[in-house]
Amino acid sequence: MKRYVPMALALAVALVPAPGVKAEGKTAWIHVRVEEPGKESKVSVNIPLPVAEAALALAPETVASGGCIHLGSKGRKLSLVDLRRAWKELRATGDAEIVSVEDRDQTVKIDRLGDKVRIHVEGRAKAESINVEIPTTAVDALLSGEGETFNLRGALAEIRNLRGDIVRVDDRDSKVRIWIDEGI
Amino acid sequence: MLLKIGMVLAAIPLSVMALVAATGVVVVDVQEKGPGGHHLIVPVPLVLAQAAAGFVPEEKTHVDLGEAQRYLPVAEEMVRALGECPDGELVRVEERDQKVRIAKVGTTLVIHVTEETKGEDVSVTVPLSMASTVLREARRGSLNAATLVSTLRGARLTTLADVRNGDQHVRVTVW
Repeated sequence: MKRYVPMALALAVALVPAPGVKAEGKTAWIHVRVEEPGKESKVSVNIPLPVAEAALALAPETVASGGCIHLGSKGRKLSLVDLRRAWKELRATGDAEIVSVEDRDQTVKIDRLGDKVRIHVEGRAKAESINVEIPTTAVDALLSGEGETFNLRGALAEIRNLRGDIVRVDDRDSKVRIWIDEGI
Repeated sequence: MLLKIGMVLAAIPLSVMALVAATGVVVVDVQEKGPGGHHLIVPVPLVLAQAAAGFVPEEKTHVDLGEAQRYLPVAEEMVRALGECPDGELVRVEERDQKVRIAKVGTTLVIHVTEETKGEDVSVTVPLSMASTVLREARRGSLNAATLVSTLRGARLTTLADVRNGDQHVRVTVW
């Protein structure tokens, strides 16, 4: 009889759900990976989306952008009001190249393909590339702020439903990847 | 008559033991390595620690976090949300000679730091309830030591800290 006691206890422990674990539904996680092979360094951050949302719930409704988005390395600027106007027109047009800036050091391209807006930056000198993919609905939300402000919270609310890569940065020294999925 | 006196005398330590068991005990276990190394075990009843913490002078409990103060509600809200999320690894940093890992395990945050070249291994377990209390207290501008000690009652059967290096092994456990 006694030999069954440890087995029964082990079974009981296994059947008790761990505290804090929700059985229903899957939680989305934002993952960030940064690798710097030269420094033998790897950083991995995984944040449950509800935690990010909880932080944002107390953040300001809109984020001041300073009014301008800087494009390229020569100080080219695009007014947020202009961008909002351009986006409104492009939204109706369909797939198109929104911005293309080429200079001696880098190429910046922003285009729309299906339900995604893609930002691609290619640096010449440092052999680096940055790829960002954002759903059009998130851009809608981001640009829904008034005047010269971004609606960051609105954009993140849209990103909640996104799964897959959002940002990829590859350069000679480091690799960065940001994506959303439903597991560690 | 003698039996009654004996029962009363026996009841006193038994009551004290029951009180200590009911309120919890923090055990600090220090073990020195090598031949002749000391092994020190210090059990501190939580009720006693809480009473002692009550004597901390009021002026010593004030905290000034400056600019960070306004982020405390955000941190508090994040800790609350984290408590409702599934377990998982939150942060992992791997460098040439150091590894850091922070994970949510049940109702605790487990922080593990390893420095291979120094032979050091540090593991700290922070109950989320304790983190919430610290943040809430800090938001008011003071950290009440007695309140902090009382949060340890919610962390029973937890090893709060486990530190190993070349010379010794220190463990702090709440029973």
